[in-house]
Amino acid sequence: MSTSRTVADSSPIPSRRPRRVTPGRLFDDIATYTALLAVSAVFVFPALWLVLASLSKTGDLFSFRGFFPSAYSIDTFRDLFTNDVNGLYPYGKWFINTLYVAGVSSVLGTLLVILTGYVMSRFQFKGRDAIKKATLLLGIFPGFMGMTAIFIIVAQLGLLNRLEALILLYAGTAPLGYLVQKGYFDSVPGSIHEAAKMDGASQLTIFIRVTLPLSKPMIVYTALTTFAWPWSDCLLPQLLLKNREVWTVAVGLYNMPDQQFARFAAGSVFIAVPIVILYFCLVKYIVSGLTAGAVKE
Amino acid sequence: MMKSNLHGERKISPHVFLSAFVWGLGQLLYGQIVKGLLYLAAFAGALWFFIARGFRDIAGFFTLGTVQENLWLGTTGDNSMRMLILGLFALFALVFAGVIWYANVKDAAFTARQAARGNRPRGFRESLAAMADGKFHAAALVIPVVGVCLFSILPIVFMILIAFTNLGGEVVHPALADWSFAAWQKILSVGKVGATFVKILSWNVLWAVASTALNFFAGLSLALLLSKKNVRASKFWRSFPVVAYAVPAFISMLGFRFMFSQSGPINQMLTASGRDAVFFLSNVESAKWWARGIGLFVYAWIMTPSIMLMTTGILSNISSDLYEAASIDGASPFMKFRRITLPFILFSLTPVLISQFVGNFNNFGIFFFLRGGLQSNYADYFLASDTDLLINWLYNLSVDNNYYAIGAAISLVIFVITAVLSLAVYVNSKAYKTEDTFR
Repeated sequence: MSTSRTVADSSPIPSRRPRRVTPGRLFDDIATYTALLAVSAVFVFPALWLVLASLSKTGDLFSFRGFFPSAYSIDTFRDLFTNDVNGLYPYGKWFINTLYVAGVSSVLGTLLVILTGYVMSRFQFKGRDAIKKATLLLGIFPGFMGMTAIFIIVAQLGLLNRLEALILLYAGTAPLGYLVQKGYFDSVPGSIHEAAKMDGASQLTIFIRVTLPLSKPMIVYTALTTFAWPWSDCLLPQLLLKNREVWTVAVGLYNMPDQQFARFAAGSVFIAVPIVILYFCLVKYIVSGLTAGAVKE
Repeated sequence: MMKSNLHGERKISPHVFLSAFVWGLGQLLYGQIVKGLLYLAAFAGALWFFIARGFRDIAGFFTLGTVQENLWLGTTGDNSMRMLILGLFALFALVFAGVIWYANVKDAAFTARQAARGNRPRGFRESLAAMADGKFHAAALVIPVVGVCLFSILPIVFMILIAFTNLGGEVVHPALADWSFAAWQKILSVGKVGATFVKILSWNVLWAVASTALNFFAGLSLALLLSKKNVRASKFWRSFPVVAYAVPAFISMLGFRFMFSQSGPINQMLTASGRDAVFFLSNVESAKWWARGIGLFVYAWIMTPSIMLMTTGILSNISSDLYEAASIDGASPFMKFRRITLPFILFSLTPVLISQFVGNFNNFGIFFFLRGGLQSNYADYFLASDTDLLINWLYNLSVDNNYYAIGAAISLVIFVITAVLSLAVYVNSKAYKTEDTFR
């Protein structure tokens, strides 16, 4: 623990009063930093384990010595795209499929959610209250209660084994989660809209020219969440996509056996790293989105 | 209705009357060609749909099929499930057609009023512009409402209805279904289904309470730890939980499944040190509490960071005056936490906690990804494992094993429980009671 002591003491902030090292403080510092190290280890270890496993030379989980591979190589990542083991693990195709589904649903879904949130926040009209109550009620139903029905509907539309079915479902149901966006628009002062209306702008113009540019943080947050959901959903694709070629990455990874552990790890790292980097860049927006549901003073 | 629109001065214009029967005809007679043709096309489409199949589908909704398949005679029978959903779709379409009819009549009446005042009827362009402005909210909500109706409400209504049929089990496609209460009798009776239901329900409640509490306190402690005055570089320390937060949840869960699997690293270390391997997540009965505990831990690992991020934001809102005043009064750090921090956080987070509780109650993913697999290994359970929550059981029943009616009845039970719980918690929460005074 001596290292953490020096970290704590060697960088005094000028504005602070100089601290006297009392036994109580020393004990508190040691306890605090021990806890911090422990917590960090708990959170970082599984991620580190997967990253190292993805670099293992042998693929089978059983060939590892304890947690870590006995030999390292970069080949697993190359195999991921070049060697699909007789069409069993066509990761490249899965990746393109996932990108397509998540990308298109994110664009459409974001547009619909923002529009819904904006209308529900700014307009008073007949049926507004009914819509609000209905969405609250729908939110209580267990998520995929209608799985069987969705399967039949998609089959009737002739969209089984088609990625477009997923896009329709993700983008079509995205507006149900409009409350966060509504909360955001509630907090934007209405005077700007009033001013634009005074100048004779139509509601459509106001939405495109005033609202959208003003709500960049919310658009970023919405785009991220509507992208992340199809990116990591496994249930709908598992239900609606039966051919291995049209699977998404999540379904593919779910169906990997112990013997393909390194392949699983490499595939996971490959899709997780961009998302992790994205989250780090946007953590500010995410926090504001997360707390949008909380009661504020 | 029309009369009130016309301020009771005039009789209903004959054009409006025409529009009420043949959509768009009134508009055409007023010279609104494009709009009239559009309404007329909608009318033709609706007529075609309902004559071609809509009315038959609605009839099928009530009968659920009358023709039994007969392979010897070569008659293709009715498919009850499909008839139910198509009938439901036709009913939705009927409502939708009604909405268009209403809009059409209202529009004709509007034009009639304009004409009576001597104004020229609006051109199509003007109508579009009016739509983009005065009716912006309606135009904007059309696609979201249709999407949600088709992919969210229709499936849910379908499932509710299924709960009152005898579909599933023996009664699948060639057999014809009927409306009945059989599924409810099965769940509420003392048979195997009823026993499984009670067992899963009690574990489900325990899981929801334990995981919500665990995640909340873990997240809160982490936020408090990071906001301690003697922590330097708290952004650096905070980045570790954020990594865990950013990794897609299914990857974390599958990763942990590999970690605790039969040939996984933990069991390898156990056997290397001369002990027996433990069945952590295997589908055997000895794994019951191991799997449940690991589920709690893994889910806390996934959820703690987001609670931490939320509470960090809220902690910074607490005025430091409160703490100083408490210090002057001689309050211990624990008292400060108990009397200031905790109530403040609870007040702010109650709505979030409720939705988390409901989410945890219906957490399909955790045991699906961690454990998944064979339900037949559990003698005391009907198509479920001892870690399955109601929602997993519902999935096993209706998606994997075609027990539609029982599955649907269970989803209704889940709905009632979560609705009552969240309402009760919400109404009793401080955030609700003092909302007006606090805001």
